[in-house]
Amino acid sequence: MHKDGLGEERRARGRPAATGIVALASLALLASACSSSHGSSGSAASAHTSTVTIDLTPQGCAPKPAKIAAGPVQFNVTNTNAGAVSEAELRTSNLAKILGEQENLTPGLSGGFSLDLQPGTYKINCPGASVQHWNFTVTGKASGASWQSNPQLAAAVSSYGSYIDQNAASLVTHTQAFCQAIDAGNMAQAEVLYPKARVYYERIEPVAEIWGSLDTEIDGRWENPVTVASQFIGFHKIEQLIWADNTLAGTPKLCSALVGHEQQLLTLVRRAQYNPLEMASGATDLINEAATSKISGEEERYSNTDLPVFQANVDGAMEVVGLLQPYLQRKDPGLLSQIRQRNAAVATLLAKYKASPGYDDTGYVEYSTVLDPQRRQLSTAVNALAESLSKLSIQVSS
Amino acid sequence: MHDTERPEPAEPAGPSRRRVLAGAGAAGAGVLAGGLAGYFAGQGAEAAGSTSDEVVPFYGAHQAGIATPAQDRLAFGTLNAVSGATAGDVRDLLHAWTRAAAAMTAGRLVGEDTRPYAPPVDTGEAVGSPVSRLTITIGYGPSLFDHRFGLGGRRPSALADLPPLPNENLDPDYTGGDLCIQACSDDPLVAFHAVRNLARIGMGVVEHNWMELGFGRTSTTSSRQRTPRNLLGFKDGTRNIKAEQASLMNEYVWVGRETDQPWLRGGSYLVARKIRIFVENWDRDYLQDQQNTIGRVKVSGAPLSGGTEFTAPDFGATGSDGQPAIPAHAHIRLASFEHNGGTRILRRGYSFTDGIDPQAGTLLGGLFFIAFMKNPAQFVRLQQSLAADALNEYIQHTGSAVFACPPGLRPGQDWGASLFA
Repeated sequence: MHKDGLGEERRARGRPAATGIVALASLALLASACSSSHGSSGSAASAHTSTVTIDLTPQGCAPKPAKIAAGPVQFNVTNTNAGAVSEAELRTSNLAKILGEQENLTPGLSGGFSLDLQPGTYKINCPGASVQHWNFTVTGKASGASWQSNPQLAAAVSSYGSYIDQNAASLVTHTQAFCQAIDAGNMAQAEVLYPKARVYYERIEPVAEIWGSLDTEIDGRWENPVTVASQFIGFHKIEQLIWADNTLAGTPKLCSALVGHEQQLLTLVRRAQYNPLEMASGATDLINEAATSKISGEEERYSNTDLPVFQANVDGAMEVVGLLQPYLQRKDPGLLSQIRQRNAAVATLLAKYKASPGYDDTGYVEYSTVLDPQRRQLSTAVNALAESLSKLSIQVSS
Repeated sequence: MHDTERPEPAEPAGPSRRRVLAGAGAAGAGVLAGGLAGYFAGQGAEAAGSTSDEVVPFYGAHQAGIATPAQDRLAFGTLNAVSGATAGDVRDLLHAWTRAAAAMTAGRLVGEDTRPYAPPVDTGEAVGSPVSRLTITIGYGPSLFDHRFGLGGRRPSALADLPPLPNENLDPDYTGGDLCIQACSDDPLVAFHAVRNLARIGMGVVEHNWMELGFGRTSTTSSRQRTPRNLLGFKDGTRNIKAEQASLMNEYVWVGRETDQPWLRGGSYLVARKIRIFVENWDRDYLQDQQNTIGRVKVSGAPLSGGTEFTAPDFGATGSDGQPAIPAHAHIRLASFEHNGGTRILRRGYSFTDGIDPQAGTLLGGLFFIAFMKNPAQFVRLQQSLAADALNEYIQHTGSAVFACPPGLRPGQDWGASLFA
């Protein structure tokens, strides 16, 4: 997701709805049989996105318009002068669930979020305003079958939320243990605990990336997203100090801030809602991560602990497949078996590098000992898996 | 491979073997362009060196991209089956490739992309680009016929790795391959798009082995074409076999009844050689020595024995000094059929560059040599003759591969079913 323009856009707007599906331009690349230009006679159509403007004022957050047609909706939120109001949320009509929100808008800032809305009544909520709840209505027909009405998909999404929550919680506790070793000045112990904490992040990274600044703060690398020293503060900065600079100087403060960011992430994921499309594309994103930054060794370039986090990417993706299995068994058993087969091929290759206790107690050898021809094999297998996983999204969307 | 990932382009509306609708998209009217009939009858248009809506028929007795007048651009990929791939996987892949190649060479996309939540079936970079005479030619390497896919009994006896040859220093990273894809077009993006999409379709069954892009043709394969120049600055392909020379094509290019594998009749062998030219050294050579090295006048292309470009070289002619007008070690002498017992091949190469040699700081580039022939032994004989080539001082063969290219298909046939029949 690092290089995904769509993801960047989502992040730039702040905290978009976890339920939000950014409306994808639907390119209808239809080619006529007699045209000899590639697709030249095709017509391009894009899904129609409604826009709703919300101005945060001391009095409230009236949506304009307050009634729209079902489908992709872009909410643009602006705070011109409301000192006590900094957030707009889209909630279910009983206020129980947040479907999408833009927070941290102090006067002068604007942002927004987008999602695909089914017909029904909703509330716009802006804590701190004199009138906090505003009605919002979506009319028309539901666009296609709603996944919520499919018990298998609904169960998968629910379990996915729990999986994300559990891993985010474990991320915090294992990072705290890592920090304790740092605080105690025990570098050897810190080296062992670093990859143990990392794996929890690497299983759920596509979700964490929804809150772009947190992803940078927790997992940012020097070159990604920007070569700005003040933003290079997370895991990889500590990794650099320990492995490349061989020092713990400065790491206690960094580690404590890292835990703080992880706790923010935990709070956010506990409130977040997901959908099957996000699960599916998240699985592909995880394997894409493995195929690029893990194969090249750039993700853990100082510590050489790429193999356990590679495994974590695969685990996170296959968790999604496991949760969707009851659905896929009916919907596309061939795809399911292809994914299983290709995952087995990846597992067979990864098993070659398992060791006990392994490099830094990771259960794997040091990644620098995996030479280019072997990395090539891993890359080929993991790309084949990603290619299969990329076919999940349409299966859970139609 | 699994069914869900196979692109299902619609069958062409009506590209027959003899004619094809071209230009309809741009001109708004169907125009009958010379298809196979045109090329073989010598009525095909000279390649304009620019993109166009001209379609080269995919179906026919022979694969397109061999006798087709050489397009300006090349994308060439070789691929290897991944470990664990089965015969069924390869057969299904060749089936999917057939459909995709038929679609792309007709100027259509690999598949329609109307579903917003599925990855696009076609990668999209060629949308709106004129098809520009795209041809897609595939071939099978010797390794495809090893134990893995039960094809041992289908291997033509002539299909084997080339023996060690003079002046080669082969880079394993540019050698061999189970399968090859030669995509040629007058538009580089269209050619690249073809290889990219076929490789993508093959993911999980095959992986890239090596790939090369050619930026300028170095041969003529039709008498209607102007002779191009290679990176040596000399005209190349003046004496090449021309598609119009049907008897030479049958004698030297198309596999015939002599093969022990009937499935290959009407096909051809493709020999690919990546030939680095040490251009800096060449450029420091004085003009007369360059001309003596090649055996031709640099600007006109005329043989040193006199005449104009298309005057037959007189290898017996001597100069005023009594020495052969075309020196004994001149490239065109040693490569000539007269010098090789009549042996000829159809050359269809391209200039290439891979950028700069990281060690030396010199240009990494040269000739990506491709030739088609009835039997790879023809190339071996010619290359062995070139052991004494004066040009060897300036070149080195760094990559090599040989493939058996199956014959053409009729609509409804596919490469997989033909190979695994």
